Amino acid sequence: MKQNLITEETVFAELKKAIVETLRVEENAIKPESSLIKDLGAESLDFLDINYRLEQTFGIKMARHFILEHIEEMFGEGSAIDENGQLTEKAIMLLKMRYGNTYGDLSEGIDMDAVPTLITAGSMTEGVLDIMNTLPEKCTNCGNAAWKTDDGIKVLCGSCGEPAAFTNGDDLIKEWLTSTQEEKHIF
Amino acid sequence: MPVKKTKRRVVITGTGMVSPLGRNCAETFDKAAEGISGIDYITSFDTTGLPCRIGGQVRDEWLAAFDDRAAGRLERYSSRGLRLMRTAVIEAAVQARLNEVKDRERVGVSLGSHGENISVGEMSDLLRFYDGRGQWDIPGLIKSGNYSPFQLYLRKPDTATSILSMLFDCRGSSLSLVSACAAGAQAIGEAARIIQDGKADAMIAGGCESTLNFMGFIGFVLIKALSEKYTTPQTASRPFDRKRNGFVMSEGAGAVILEDLEHARSRGAVILGELLGYGSSADAYRITDTHPKAEGAFIAMTAALEDASLSPEDIEYVNAHGTSTTQNDLVESLAIRRVFGERAKSVPVSSNKSMLGHTIAAAGAIECITTLMGMHRSIMLPTINHEFRDPKCDLDYVPNEARHTPYRRALSNSFGFGGQNACLCIGAFEG
Repeated sequence: MKQNLITEETVFAELKKAIVETLRVEENAIKPESSLIKDLGAESLDFLDINYRLEQTFGIKMARHFILEHIEEMFGEGSAIDENGQLTEKAIMLLKMRYGNTYGDLSEGIDMDAVPTLITAGSMTEGVLDIMNTLPEKCTNCGNAAWKTDDGIKVLCGSCGEPAAFTNGDDLIKEWLTSTQEEKHIF
Repeated sequence: MPVKKTKRRVVITGTGMVSPLGRNCAETFDKAAEGISGIDYITSFDTTGLPCRIGGQVRDEWLAAFDDRAAGRLERYSSRGLRLMRTAVIEAAVQARLNEVKDRERVGVSLGSHGENISVGEMSDLLRFYDGRGQWDIPGLIKSGNYSPFQLYLRKPDTATSILSMLFDCRGSSLSLVSACAAGAQAIGEAARIIQDGKADAMIAGGCESTLNFMGFIGFVLIKALSEKYTTPQTASRPFDRKRNGFVMSEGAGAVILEDLEHARSRGAVILGELLGYGSSADAYRITDTHPKAEGAFIAMTAALEDASLSPEDIEYVNAHGTSTTQNDLVESLAIRRVFGERAKSVPVSSNKSMLGHTIAAAGAIECITTLMGMHRSIMLPTINHEFRDPKCDLDYVPNEARHTPYRRALSNSFGFGGQNACLCIGAFEG
């Protein structure tokens, strides 16, 4: 369910902390539209590091695979990336459906190697919020619906004190792809 | 007037190897020439649950036994990597008749290797004596004998070099290199320098690696460097193919005997080929990503050519690093285009790793030898599993089948994780 305990501002602020610690950039250099690779100098392993920090902070599991990998896995090779390494029209359509314009204007087509450069501080914030919005109605431990937060960062059960169990990032993408496919018959 | 010193020529008088494809050079080369893969499901440890469960294993029965007393006493200090290397060096030393060289202070060892990881079992034995909060029960640990004093030597990356020196009575220059995937090629290149500098007449040079165990795997799994998408183990390593998705870990060893040309001639050694040049460089860029403009690879390749006093037009074949990772194959193709310019697409380039997997510190040495053997047999080894064209890898990769064609001068690339690069320029011997 959509949760109201943790705000977008908080997520962005915590993401900035994670980026500052990982990439050693000035905090005020990080804007929602900053590309982690192009603007902030991230390399591949840095994403693992930043994801790990976010997971520790919010008690979540970030996706280990980008949506394109899930599309290829679920709908067959070539469904997301064509033989020239370009994103397929269907992949671009799905990206837009799920992430709106977070990844910019993709109408011109895009090479798969350029995809990681599309990841921005804003799109990562959205990714964290998507996961936090999988907060179950009731605590999976005690069955009560009494979510609270003491620090504005971690969601706990007000009844038994257990941390909230969110859907992990990869499962969340797969669930969305499954329901979108059932509804729209894209492939 | 000072006399211009001409560079000593360094020749190869012996080669040896053990690989997932065979117990020696000939067996490995013959199978590779048929496009056979040495990759299979790993049996050396339980891979249950790991996203990559394949690798290139060397059969235990292929390893030379520690049969004589001198070698037997050294067995307990010997990592599996060193055992592989000893097997390879025996083959090379016999071929070169290295034991006939009298002055052993003029024979050295240059080895690329990384020591052996602690095993999970050894670690849990250790942790029985740890309270988890910083305190060790040292008397208990020592009394138990659970952690053997020989462990120290298995872990140290320099031990293998020392033991090789003892086993083969080499009292000259001694060099241990730990530059990851570039180590084997660097060991050969640096050994050639030692000979050129007049500091040795002959050198045992090469590299070995054996990390097909949990601790060797888990790190590479976490950084997602290994191939995880494969329909069969044999098709997982697919360098330059669009569907490549990571490297396949293998074990092995490669050894060459390098020798000063005049020294080799004076003792009537059979000369197999010549090490014409060597270049090394660092990307000085990032720890996991290769330089996007292939800067380090380009520097190493051009340095090897310059060292050999050759131009790109003289090179007829490139034995690629070709790991089957997205990054390496893309960047290496770019480096080759930069070095060869318009001619790039007509220079055959192939990756032995498509069949052997990645033997890390051994790779550069093994590939140096297969390049030389290819010259002798007029065979360019293929890049197997080449099915789906990648528009960004647009060179002649000798796809799927060996090519029967004569060639006399080649480059062999070895680019290390972390940006350490080496390139060897190898030539057929011309008197």
